[in-house]
Amino acid sequence: MRELRKDPIIGRWIIISTERAKRPEDFKQPPDATTHEKHCPFCSGKEAETPPEVFAMRKPSSKPNGPDWDVRVVPSIAPLFKAEGDLNRHGNGMYDKMNGVGAHEIIIETPQHIGGIYELSVEQIANVIRTWIYRITELEKDERFKYILLFKNHGLIAGAGIVRHARSQIIATPVNLKRVKEELVGAKLYYEYKERCVFCDMIKQELDENKRVVVDIDGFISVMPFASRFPFETWIMSKRHSCDFESLTESEIVDLAKVLKTTLTKLSNAVHDPPYNLVLHNAPFRRKKRKPGYWRTIEEDFHWHIEIMPRLTRVAGFEWGSGFYINPMPPEDAAKFLKEAEG
Amino acid sequence: MHELRRDPITGRWVVVLRENGMGPGDFEVEKHEIKGGANCPFCPGREGMTPPEIDAHREGGTERDKPGWSTRIIPNKFPALGIEGELNKHGIGLYDMMNGVGAHEVIIETPDHTKQFADFSDHEIEKVVWAYKNRSVDLRGDKRFRYLLIFKNYGRSAGASLEHSHSQLIALPIVPKRVKEELIGSLKYFDYRGRCVFCDMITQEKQESLRIVAENDLFISFCPAVSRFAFESWILPKEHSADFSYIQADSVVALSNILGDTMRKIKKGLKDPSYNLIIHTAPIEERQRDDYHWHIEIMPKLANVAGFEWGSGFYINPISPEDAAKYLRGIKV
Repeated sequence: MRELRKDPIIGRWIIISTERAKRPEDFKQPPDATTHEKHCPFCSGKEAETPPEVFAMRKPSSKPNGPDWDVRVVPSIAPLFKAEGDLNRHGNGMYDKMNGVGAHEIIIETPQHIGGIYELSVEQIANVIRTWIYRITELEKDERFKYILLFKNHGLIAGAGIVRHARSQIIATPVNLKRVKEELVGAKLYYEYKERCVFCDMIKQELDENKRVVVDIDGFISVMPFASRFPFETWIMSKRHSCDFESLTESEIVDLAKVLKTTLTKLSNAVHDPPYNLVLHNAPFRRKKRKPGYWRTIEEDFHWHIEIMPRLTRVAGFEWGSGFYINPMPPEDAAKFLKEAEG
Repeated sequence: MHELRRDPITGRWVVVLRENGMGPGDFEVEKHEIKGGANCPFCPGREGMTPPEIDAHREGGTERDKPGWSTRIIPNKFPALGIEGELNKHGIGLYDMMNGVGAHEVIIETPDHTKQFADFSDHEIEKVVWAYKNRSVDLRGDKRFRYLLIFKNYGRSAGASLEHSHSQLIALPIVPKRVKEELIGSLKYFDYRGRCVFCDMITQEKQESLRIVAENDLFISFCPAVSRFAFESWILPKEHSADFSYIQADSVVALSNILGDTMRKIKKGLKDPSYNLIIHTAPIEERQRDDYHWHIEIMPKLANVAGFEWGSGFYINPISPEDAAKYLRGIKV
């Protein structure tokens, strides 16, 4: 089977090509050969080895930068952006430049040396989500920042380094990211045309067709998108429309924790703990002095969601350069396989 | 302080690491061991193992699908797209789709299993460039196709599955997204300034002389000011031209010369890294565009670099293009 499919949000075409005969089982990962890990600075008791914490969910009466925490946030030891200084936007001929002002934080998701977030309890995952929300809300107060990128690299190939301790990262950027903008523009166009949210339409069609849904519990679904770029690419979406991740209610936080845990456990069981990147797609900060008309309909047209991209194929290099994705695994087959996996 | 730079074509921001950045010697590369051509379907004498050839550059008196060729073009045995059939564009609810109609060809660049692209003589590279051109001219006549993507993956981490030196061509019924982005960005720049953004880039690169890797009468090779990857290098014709497939004979010679130099510098200076090479050209039948300029992008795959962009949409470049170009410029080949 060979098929070209178009992503309804940003309009990217991808090829589903099964000529190279991949069955879901073929993607099972060999056991991780990385045994270089000698020392972990993220474990409880090693607090002094990280920069001083920005925030921690701690047991009452415990002290900052000591043990007895559940989730701990520290500045990155090799930050891509730093909080001090001015942007100093300037041009050099045709090239625009500015200083790398921003924030780069690491969220340590557990005091124990555990590699996968799905191995944590639902309550602990909920704590991680609460921490994500808290840090986003705090960073929003800094007017220099336009966007928060929340992501997670799992496994060496996905960029996690050799230390296998569950953690996620937050980067506050002074610019809007191209990939985010693309999605916002696509969602807005769809809304202008149909007066509906494209993600809500997607959820409805996915539930009706029931071919690509992996998990459907309470207020959330996890689904393999119709125009998946990668084998086992999975999105987690909230059935309640909202453009802001931070708007999650307490009970929704727990539901999201359940869906995350189930989805990632299934993925891990189905293809043996694959490396993946997880990225939160959220609405940018909306400041009072924004340009008129800017983000005017964002609350109606955009829908926050989480994208999980397993790194199972080796073709990334070419696709980086060309933006042209060839997916050897129809998402319908991948979804069926994952649905049946233990989770 | 790290620096944020904005690409003038697509508007994409790239972080250039200024502290704890990396020096040219700090990059690890995947090792390339040539295991030998014992079962290689691209070696002479095994022509029967591939689908029948589409074209070949042959010595006089040799037969199709037999040895005696210097470059050979065959359909990909496991094509991403199939050549037969109609597009049958249709929708299912929200989703649009069409049949995967297209061409997927392999250009075997040399009969010599042990020779890699960077080891070719300029004359051998010319034959490869001619193969690119001739296939493009042939395929651009098929009305079903909108775009021709020519690329080369070298090394496993760049996506190559066979070690025998080859490139690929995919003819597509659509214009891929990243190409479209580039086209839209170039058009915007042209609307505003009335000039081609790539021509302006060549002018500024020549004035500043900071990022040039190699240059001859007709072509320039440089590390772009907003490089996404360490040692990313672009090769552009100095004279404005939108469509690669209309390249003239004198330009083929000049291109082969600068491409050979650039690839040899990368191989020698960076210890033979894996890489992707992509020809960016205008969509079929848009050769008249004043706003777009065909070019080649070479992206070395160096360890400690990959991974991040995929997840985050942010490119982090651990070495400034000025330092990278200076280093490559200094490599004698």
